[in-house]
Amino acid sequence: MAPDPNSASGSGTTREEASVKVPAKDPKKKDEKKDEDLSEEDLALKQQLELYVERVQDTDPGLQKVALQSMRQEIRTSTSSMTSVPKPLKFLRPHYATLKAYYDTMTDSEVKKFLADILSVLAMTMTAGQRESLKYRLLGSEGDIGSWGHEYVRNLAGEIAQEYTKRQEEEACIDDLLELVQQVVAFYMKHNAEYEAVDLLMEVEDLGLLGNDVDRTNNKRLGDHVDHTNNKRTCVYLTNVARYLPGPDDMLVLDIAYSIHLKFEEYPSALQIALFLDNMQYVEKVFIACDDLVRKKQFCYILARQGITYELRKEMVADDADRETLQEIVNNTKLSEGYLTLARDIEVMEPKSPEDVYKAHLLDGRASAGASIDSARQNLAVTFVNAFVNAGFGQDKLMTSPSEASSGGSSGNWLFKNKEHGKASAAASLGMILLWDVDSGLSQLDKYFHSNDNHVLAGAFLGVGIVNCGIKNECHPALALLADSINKGDSSVRIGAIMGLGLAYAGSKNEEIRSKLTPILEDDKASLDVIAFTAISLGLVYVGSCNEEVAQAIINALRDRSESELGEPLTRLLPLGLGLLYLRKQESVEAAAQVSKTFNEKIRKYCDMTLISCAYAGTGNVLKVQHLLDQCAQDPEKGESHQGPAVLGIAMVAMAEELGLEMAIRSLEHLLLCREQNIRRAVPLALGLLCISNPKVNVVDTLSRLSHDTDTEVAMAAVISLGLIGAGTNNARIAGMLRNLSSYYYKEATILFCVRISQGLVHLGKGLLTLAPYHSERFLLSPTALAGIITLLHACLDVKAIILGKYHYVLYFLVLAIQPRMLLTVDENLKPLSVPVRVGQAVDVVGQAGQPKTITGFQTHSTPVLLAAGDRAELATEKYIPLSPILEGFVILKENPDYREDN
Amino acid sequence: MPTVSVKWQKETFPGVEIDTSQPPYVFKCQLYDLTGVPPERQKIMVKGGLLKDDADWSTLGVKEGQKLMMMGTADEIVKAPEKGPVFMEDLPEEEQVVAVGHTAGLFNLGNTCYMNSTVQCLHSVPELKSALIKYPHSGRSNDLDQSSHLLTVATRDLFTELDKNVKAVAPMQFWLVLRKKYPQFGQLHNGSYMQQDAEECWTQLLYTLSLSLRSPSSSENSDTVKALFGIELVSRVHCQESGEESSETESVYALKCHISHEVNHLHEGLKHGLKSELEKASPSLGRSAIYLKDSCINGLPRYLTIQFVRFFWKRESNQKAKILRKVDYPVELDVYDLCSDDLRKKLEAPRKILRDEEGKKFGLKTNEKSTGSVGKDVKMKDAEGSSNGSGESSNAISQEGVQPEKEMHLTGIYDLVAVLTHKGRSADSGHYVAWVKQESGKWIQFDDDNPIPQREEDITKLSGGGDWHMAYMCMYKARLVPM
Repeated sequence: MAPDPNSASGSGTTREEASVKVPAKDPKKKDEKKDEDLSEEDLALKQQLELYVERVQDTDPGLQKVALQSMRQEIRTSTSSMTSVPKPLKFLRPHYATLKAYYDTMTDSEVKKFLADILSVLAMTMTAGQRESLKYRLLGSEGDIGSWGHEYVRNLAGEIAQEYTKRQEEEACIDDLLELVQQVVAFYMKHNAEYEAVDLLMEVEDLGLLGNDVDRTNNKRLGDHVDHTNNKRTCVYLTNVARYLPGPDDMLVLDIAYSIHLKFEEYPSALQIALFLDNMQYVEKVFIACDDLVRKKQFCYILARQGITYELRKEMVADDADRETLQEIVNNTKLSEGYLTLARDIEVMEPKSPEDVYKAHLLDGRASAGASIDSARQNLAVTFVNAFVNAGFGQDKLMTSPSEASSGGSSGNWLFKNKEHGKASAAASLGMILLWDVDSGLSQLDKYFHSNDNHVLAGAFLGVGIVNCGIKNECHPALALLADSINKGDSSVRIGAIMGLGLAYAGSKNEEIRSKLTPILEDDKASLDVIAFTAISLGLVYVGSCNEEVAQAIINALRDRSESELGEPLTRLLPLGLGLLYLRKQESVEAAAQVSKTFNEKIRKYCDMTLISCAYAGTGNVLKVQHLLDQCAQDPEKGESHQGPAVLGIAMVAMAEELGLEMAIRSLEHLLLCREQNIRRAVPLALGLLCISNPKVNVVDTLSRLSHDTDTEVAMAAVISLGLIGAGTNNARIAGMLRNLSSYYYKEATILFCVRISQGLVHLGKGLLTLAPYHSERFLLSPTALAGIITLLHACLDVKAIILGKYHYVLYFLVLAIQPRMLLTVDENLKPLSVPVRVGQAVDVVGQAGQPKTITGFQTHSTPVLLAAGDRAELATEKYIPLSPILEGFVILKENPDYREDN
Repeated sequence: MPTVSVKWQKETFPGVEIDTSQPPYVFKCQLYDLTGVPPERQKIMVKGGLLKDDADWSTLGVKEGQKLMMMGTADEIVKAPEKGPVFMEDLPEEEQVVAVGHTAGLFNLGNTCYMNSTVQCLHSVPELKSALIKYPHSGRSNDLDQSSHLLTVATRDLFTELDKNVKAVAPMQFWLVLRKKYPQFGQLHNGSYMQQDAEECWTQLLYTLSLSLRSPSSSENSDTVKALFGIELVSRVHCQESGEESSETESVYALKCHISHEVNHLHEGLKHGLKSELEKASPSLGRSAIYLKDSCINGLPRYLTIQFVRFFWKRESNQKAKILRKVDYPVELDVYDLCSDDLRKKLEAPRKILRDEEGKKFGLKTNEKSTGSVGKDVKMKDAEGSSNGSGESSNAISQEGVQPEKEMHLTGIYDLVAVLTHKGRSADSGHYVAWVKQESGKWIQFDDDNPIPQREEDITKLSGGGDWHMAYMCMYKARLVPM
């Protein structure tokens, strides 16, 4: 009769508990009423469960076991849906304490383990923070974890994470936990909860105590669970989460994603991660792993878009002829052709004159006043606008007019409408118009090579560099034509040749260029401007390479500068050249940063800021953003100008992902309140970098406000930035603003010049081009493109001395970032193929359940199409399969073998 | 004998044989045959280097099937033009003026905007400018006092200065002399010069100039200022009580536009201004009586100046208060009905010619007349195109100077050329600005040192009725026809 009082007391206590509980839950109802509320069915269940609880405490193990099994049965059948607390759990909840107490009295047996299982489930409903669910799980029978339902697993995973952290602190053993993790992950991966699996794994791998080896085993675990159904979702989550992880975990996560992609033959995605990691071995592995030539062609297009110099080797593509075709794609030789295909399709081949861009007729009379006499500055602006607007089209109305054949010199005429150094920019603008078209570009530039005017010659050299920008050619025409001129002639010719080499070989890490350029840095007789441009060119060629010899050469050059030279505006290019060597290389910059601390104090901090901002550019490293903000907050000592690069640095670091970007925009607006003009002048430029070719409305408004600032340099920077954020968009709002600014500033030739440049930028390539260094759905960052933009921005920190002075050709550094913003689909033979595509606003689908739509508000077009910032495309036909998951740039389409024409 | 392929522009020449025993020059001649580019213009790129004429093939290591690239054209080499273009930045400042399209502004020397705007308005009268240039440098006629002479010289110098410069001019000398001649402009208030009434400045300046620009040689019609600005009025003074009537003539430099509650338009104001009441001793009644004075214009000037009587002495606040009432004024003013009968008769014929002229244009292109500026442009072209053309354009007169005066006849129709506006609530405060039509037909707002281009339609919006700039003085230029 023992069980009877037991059960009576047990039920008694439970009733008390229940009555205590109910008012807490719903104070208006009395417990009698509550009992009445229960349906007969529920009441029966409740009584049944109470009976089980009694039975569990029976002395007969057989009876206990039966009771536990029945209880388990009840729970399992009811936990399938988790829209509310399941009834059995609700009714058992009050008995938790009883069972717990009874559990402690039990001797080890199978039954005890069963009870532990039940307790583990019940604990889920009890107060959080005790981690009792986990405790009893570990004591339990270790059966199939999923049999208790999803919610149980989720709860368990949460407790594991907490327990893990605690044990890490106590340095306790965690093996049992890891075993459990294994089970949980397996369950998650099977049940469409890849994100949670990844989260849990990251949670328990989080601290470095485990070391890499254990991580590896965990990777394997994850890898084992990934299959064809869930690999994509897993990897998408991994790659996206990597942006928010601190180093080195982010690299590790990407590494895992890479290996999963490789395993499941998602080669293009694997390649993209390899490029993100800047790991050439990984790139090679992708090529070796894949044996489909057409797919390899697609890889080459991806490599070409990233703008890296890459030599395919025999192991990667066995056949010589094939390798040559592929190498041509990597070398970007077909870029011009593809771009012109786009232009013809959109019907914008007709050359545009700068007047078409200025649209002066829309303004009232004032702007068109007095056109009788040429103004050198305005003609120079016309030259740049013409170059930007007609970039890459191969024809324009000033430099390559058709009348050339008849009169033989009309292009010469415009050239000579520019004054002195303006002629250099004018001659170079021909290179811009023939951008990427090396063959015709060189032949058209040829006529300037025979000029006896040094400025024209300098422009011709620069033009060669521009034409070759991003295009590689096995004959190395740029090197052949420019190499001899870097050391002779007057400084303007030398700069033309040096900058041309820098543009043509950006990112190539070409040894020959290094051996030719480094001696200039050591040359005592070389003028400061030559040295500054040499440093930048070296920085561009060796961008992100951490090359020590180049670094040493630039450091020495900086050391050799005299006190007065350090104060020159152009000197800022030296630290920048050094910084470019470490672009995105994070910690690798430490050594150089240490050395920079020994520099002359005039340049020391400036150098430090530049190095940090370059090294952490595009990483989104919050600590570095804080560090740079901190620098801006300090009152500078007299004559210090390091805050300019610090402000730019904030933008460079934060531009990595959308959230950080928005935060940076807000912080920058706060910086505008500073008294320090150095900071205020840099803020518009930083905004320009953050939203380059992406005119966000709030930023446009801020810049528009700043373009009327009382400080002319702030106004100029804002005007230029308006051009940058609208670059290649044809954005009507910005175009209108600039037009009004052109009439507002019609008398101030200097600001008007900036306005004109911006007008040209907004209509860059008649709206077919972009300056955004990020591509492939904002995942990859082209280092050369970023390097080009920040070089210009650093030059803009002293607009008056550099852009408005005689070094206006620094504007051509932008050419490094110029890319067509297109989707061009080609067939397997690389011939353009027009297919319907849907283009719409990209939607962030990371971590969302099911198969959500990836674009919204789409329109259907036929390729080739233009893609705006934040746009995404998807094929609107089943007939073809794209060989790249990301539809940007050149995409090869393969016919879908399963496709059936339905009528 | 390796064969290579050579790429030139868009063409590729496959299988070009190289005779390695010959210098590269021979190879270049081979290419000359293929491309037509002379060897000295050829640039052949071999693996990042240029092929030199005297290079050794063996060291270059040209391989079978290698690709070479050739650059070069047979095009004409670009030569700098004999005469380079002249850039605005290189020009001396006076020549830049032409390019800018308007003359310089004047610096404010401390509440001198009334003076600046007056000078800018008068500066727009080319006849006055030419008269001033003729003014003798040193010798002054005996009947002219020293300060007047100096003021005239200063005016002349300032006018030339304005024409020469692009950047704003500081009218230091003029300001000094003006104060010397008219000490009332030198009033100080709290240690700084006070704002003055621009109308006073205008009148005084013109008065001085009318004295000094009187040419001593010929007696009649020698008063340049009077010829340009003088308005002959004939008035009938009439006493209702006694029935007495007399007539008198006078010459004024400006018509007054009185502003009362009924006045909404310049025309009404002018009519109002030509009627006045005065009290004087009546010989017949032997006491003072109210006389009505009824004036009409008997002689029209080349430049008709109109003053809006916006300021009145407000006893209670002890200042010149301002009437803010909106009074519209036209760009084209017809004063025919303000003229005396004699004058009207004289005007008949020229007006008919003008009407015919206009009618012709109207008939041809009806839309031209609708927008004033377009119509005027066409007229200007007409005037330049045919020497005996319509001739009513302002340009024709300024170019041909004073001589054709005899052939040119007034029509009673005037075009607006300058507006002097005031912004503020009293004459001695606020801000004066001049809005002047340039010879190019463009309007410039001279706000002290800052000339701002304006559209013609905005000029007529300065008619008052708010706190915006409102017209205080208007200057109209006569439209002339040749007869």
